[in-house]
Amino acid sequence: MTSLRNAKSQTPNHLLPWLEVVAIAAWGVLILKYWLTNKLNLLIHPDFFWLVIVAAIGLLTMSFCKSLQLWHKIPPDQITSGEQHINVFPPGWSSSLLLVAAVLGFIISPQVFASQTALNREVTEILGATRTQPQSFRANTRPEERTLIDWVRILNVYPEPDAYTGQKVKVQGFVIHSQELNLDHLILARFVITCCAADVYPAGLPVQLPTNRDQYPPDTWLEVEGQMTTANIAGKRRLTIKANSIRKIPQPKNPYSY
Amino acid sequence: MMISQLNNGFTLFLSLLVEAMPFLLLGVLFSSLLLFFVEERKLVDIMPKNPFLGALFGSMIGFLFPVCECGNVPVARRLLMQGVPTSVAIGFLLAAPTINPIVIWATWTAFRDQPEIVVLRVVLSLSIATIIGFVFSFQKDITPYLQPQIARYLKFNPPAQTEPKTPQLQEQVTTPSPLLQSGTYILGGKAGISTRLSGNFSQTVVKTPNRTLIGKLGLVLDNAIQELRELGAIMVLGSAIAAAIQVLAPRDVILSLGAGPISSILTMLLLATVVSICSTVDSFFALSFASTFTSGSLLAFLVFGPMIDIKGVGLMLSVFKPKALFYLFALAGQLTLLFTLFLNLHIM
Repeated sequence: MTSLRNAKSQTPNHLLPWLEVVAIAAWGVLILKYWLTNKLNLLIHPDFFWLVIVAAIGLLTMSFCKSLQLWHKIPPDQITSGEQHINVFPPGWSSSLLLVAAVLGFIISPQVFASQTALNREVTEILGATRTQPQSFRANTRPEERTLIDWVRILNVYPEPDAYTGQKVKVQGFVIHSQELNLDHLILARFVITCCAADVYPAGLPVQLPTNRDQYPPDTWLEVEGQMTTANIAGKRRLTIKANSIRKIPQPKNPYSY
Repeated sequence: MMISQLNNGFTLFLSLLVEAMPFLLLGVLFSSLLLFFVEERKLVDIMPKNPFLGALFGSMIGFLFPVCECGNVPVARRLLMQGVPTSVAIGFLLAAPTINPIVIWATWTAFRDQPEIVVLRVVLSLSIATIIGFVFSFQKDITPYLQPQIARYLKFNPPAQTEPKTPQLQEQVTTPSPLLQSGTYILGGKAGISTRLSGNFSQTVVKTPNRTLIGKLGLVLDNAIQELRELGAIMVLGSAIAAAIQVLAPRDVILSLGAGPISSILTMLLLATVVSICSTVDSFFALSFASTFTSGSLLAFLVFGPMIDIKGVGLMLSVFKPKALFYLFALAGQLTLLFTLFLNLHIM
């Protein structure tokens, strides 16, 4: 159970403090690397980039100061607030754990969530209400300028599908195939992120295709143009895009919506 | 599919860590700074004598000591030994990890779509901590609930006579073999440096009584790094558990547990007990359950989690007897269950 131990007094190993320094620095470098390689937006909402970047610099600074301390062999103060600490792990374990997590972060690249994640949810959930309240809600934009998420949010505010019949649509998203839909229907969706990847959830609209959906496999990114109509899907009347033109597009640099 | 699921899980794991890191860093920096620059003695002097107000006051000291649950036990112990009423110390013990600016900010970051969670987390934590502190204040003689060492210390050193000149009441013995000296010791944070409780304090060897600012900053750095390392490692484990549950647990089980007003709360109370993730970052853990679990159960996790803490039990046992700890946790758990169940059934 909880072992109340001091790493330094337990093990005369002089490498342990250096392991600490390296582990903390590794996290600083990892976060900066994500930022510089444009991967940070796969992990967190852009509002918090500054916070995370400042933290990364903070981590590097701490690790730098500590390494100076170690380098100049300033003896560790024995009465450093010893009673403040709960050391859960045996000496060296905590640093190793942090370091291993960071190294894995360097090796395995974070991934954009795909349709499989979305399909773990019910279709009604994807097509249902978004959790977000429309924060930057612009109802008076022209219909064809609305994004997919704009549409879902508008629909949340005024859910009668018939109210939008005939309006022009031009939206982008990725393809989800669902068993509950007819073969000439697919779901065009985007993931919405509010804080970090832990809370991404898909939101989308059904699309009625002129052909079979097989030529648009799951996770393909599409730009769909068409008109709004109402269709009966999974037992409920739903706002549906009747597609006139469908164009495959590359995955956007920032695949998430906010 | 398996690979992509694993990769999703890993992405989730990383995103929890990256988002939580700034708050953890801020938390350990603040608590380390305050440790060396705030004088608890001054606080003790202005504490209200009324038990209810005392409990409320104690619950809000967290605003001055933004410690998470790992730092609050030692501070609570010091407070108790400086003669602070039990209601204040218990209020502080239970509420300080939640009622502080960094934790509130982190919770807001995670749940800005549901501001009610942020507000209710503060209100519920404050209420429960105050109620429990108040309840304990009816115990006129608290000594049967304290560990004998502390009880004895309080008996022989009534607070009025032991006013220390320095904020740190208990200095740590750093002579090569402290156990050769007379007196009673309790296990502090570091083995080999036990804290001397009874006996003559004037004999205590203090290595560096007067520290320069630079020296203090050095200590702040050491303390911050040590906390960052320990809590960071716990955060890594916590995030791994959260990600694993999201990816590996059968979705229908999660859905059915999470949808029930009672089952969701009980599950979250259990998770709060098992996953002893730091309060500065636990809102991100809870966030990963936001789509499947009732809001009341998320609140139960956020309120109860910082109060109970498996990794802190060892340290808490250095203050309280097991019986007292049991009462504390049982009361806190029941109150959390009651409040959040009410919210689940009638409001959210």
